[in-house]
Amino acid sequence: MLSTRDLVAGYDERTVLDGLDLDLPADAFTVIVGPNACGKSTLLRTLARLLTPRRGTVLLDGAAIRELPTREVARRLGVLPQSPLVPEGVTVADLVGRGRQPYQRWWRQWSEQDGAAVDQAMRLADVADLADRPVDTLSGGQRQRVWIAMTLAQDTEALLLDEPTTFLDLAHQVEVLDLLHRLRTERGRTVVAVLHDLNQAARYADHLIAMRAGAVVAAGPPRAILTTDLVREVFGLDCLVVPCPVTGAPLVVPAITSPTLAAGASSPATGSSGAVPVGEDAPAGSYPSKGN
Amino acid sequence: MSAATRLAASPDTPSAVDRLPGRALLRVGPVRVQIRRRSVLVAVALTGLLAMAMVLSLSLGTPYVAPADVLRALSGAGTPYDLVVLNLRLPRLVLAAVAGAAFGVAGTLIQSVARNPLASPDVIGITQGAGLAATVALTSGAAAVLVAPAALAGGLVAALVVFALGTRHGLAAQRFVLAGVAVAFALRALTEVVMLTADPIDGLRAQVWLIGTLAGRGWTETTWIAGTLLILLPVLAWAGWALNSTALDDDTAKGIGLRPVARRIGLAGTGVITAAMVTAQVGAVDFVALVAPQVARRLVRAERPPLLCAALLGALLLVLADLAGRRLFAPTQLPAGVLTAAIGGPYLLYLLLRGRRRPS
Repeated sequence: MLSTRDLVAGYDERTVLDGLDLDLPADAFTVIVGPNACGKSTLLRTLARLLTPRRGTVLLDGAAIRELPTREVARRLGVLPQSPLVPEGVTVADLVGRGRQPYQRWWRQWSEQDGAAVDQAMRLADVADLADRPVDTLSGGQRQRVWIAMTLAQDTEALLLDEPTTFLDLAHQVEVLDLLHRLRTERGRTVVAVLHDLNQAARYADHLIAMRAGAVVAAGPPRAILTTDLVREVFGLDCLVVPCPVTGAPLVVPAITSPTLAAGASSPATGSSGAVPVGEDAPAGSYPSKGN
Repeated sequence: MSAATRLAASPDTPSAVDRLPGRALLRVGPVRVQIRRRSVLVAVALTGLLAMAMVLSLSLGTPYVAPADVLRALSGAGTPYDLVVLNLRLPRLVLAAVAGAAFGVAGTLIQSVARNPLASPDVIGITQGAGLAATVALTSGAAAVLVAPAALAGGLVAALVVFALGTRHGLAAQRFVLAGVAVAFALRALTEVVMLTADPIDGLRAQVWLIGTLAGRGWTETTWIAGTLLILLPVLAWAGWALNSTALDDDTAKGIGLRPVARRIGLAGTGVITAAMVTAQVGAVDFVALVAPQVARRLVRAERPPLLCAALLGALLLVLADLAGRRLFAPTQLPAGVLTAAIGGPYLLYLLLRGRRRPS
């Protein structure tokens, strides 16, 4: 549903993306990975029309996103920017209610649909109990779920999230990713996220995009593309790729890079050559989802 | 239509509509406006206080007119006090209320957009720009009718300079307030130079203008300010709603379909025009635009200053300041600007100290 044609984008003098052609599949959880400063956030911000490209276009269902009214785009595409500013003293329900902005006018500031959408978004993101709490008093994980609830209240087909798990501890990371996974599988939303953790990307993504220096190195299902060679090419890191014991998805284990680490290592893996490709017969895993 | 006005949803029956805590929906025909329940209370209370202060202001003075006679004179019944109440005191009083409200509106708009309680027109140079232009007009022998237009132009130009210097990284950056304070100091220094080199009598007139006073002013000034507010009324109706999004960062605002830069220009521009206009008419009355929005915000317990309550509070502050200026050291008359500074400064300090101790 989202694609780019000959996209050139950057900041000030620096060109980050140079002539990018990309198609993001609809009804999939797409994860964009890559080393720092590879342009993945730039790509996401350009896709979300937060950044104006220097050249080329972003297409939303075939139409140039820049030529669509921004309110209309906001009804089809929800965006969670990287570390959004938490307004002081605003309650959870109030902030989630801001997600209804694209459906409101100053003379029609609230409707039954707005109320229903906010209710549902807060239930989905599991923040309904926090409705009356000021957002700035919540923990990092709770805040992130509130922001996701705000974008859910927008009631869009697609959601774009820029590093939604940064600054969260592991349990909260899993919680947020499980939520995104449920949105894809249970609600049929198209989800696109930039993630830092390759293993989480492999575990949750239907479609993985690996970027390096502003270009796409590989794109496809994680089990098909995530290999030792790809990690070396994209991150410059030697590693083992083994099937995850829980899900069977590819699991990236960095090779030993320091001799002092090797001394304490009990694993037989000793070098960068011992890559284990993920075969067809990897155990078909199920994604454990957090029960409510 | 008259019966269509009602407050929907009470706190004990949480329906799907009533998802916003502390808010209610005001329905007037097809129009649906979110209002804070608490701001309704505060607005009603402020209106009552303002009415009392206005009657008091019409009543006190020499001669004293009993409040009952004030009300009779206002109702047009024809009393012996008509001259004092309607011709001498009322024009100045209405000007105080309208100018105070305009200061409250201007302060709310600029502070909200800059996300900084210090970003008020009397701190960031708009008042000082108007002051310099007025001083030049008053000391250069220009016609008296030119003082207000000159001050209006001076305020607008100063605002443009501050915005040009301070908005490289969006208005919210501290840079904006710093640029404003710097411009304000530079303009004040220039004003001093103009005053010192001028004829002493002209310098004194400029001095009085710079403090800001309502003495000898009335319907003409009121018409200019009220007319400006009236023309801006559709914008202000929109602003009451648009101000809700000023607390969001630009990416989040764009994500929910807003155009934050256009919004800031619209809101701040409205505030600047209002501030320059009211300053041009009543002089450099300090602190009302700074204090009224912040006190109103604390009364309403909102995350940003509420437009209507700040206007009412601004009106109340200036009416009381003018009354105190007239009566405290009677027969000596103090300009309203002296009183607003004397009350406003310490009160803001008190609020800052109190606010710091509160956990929230």
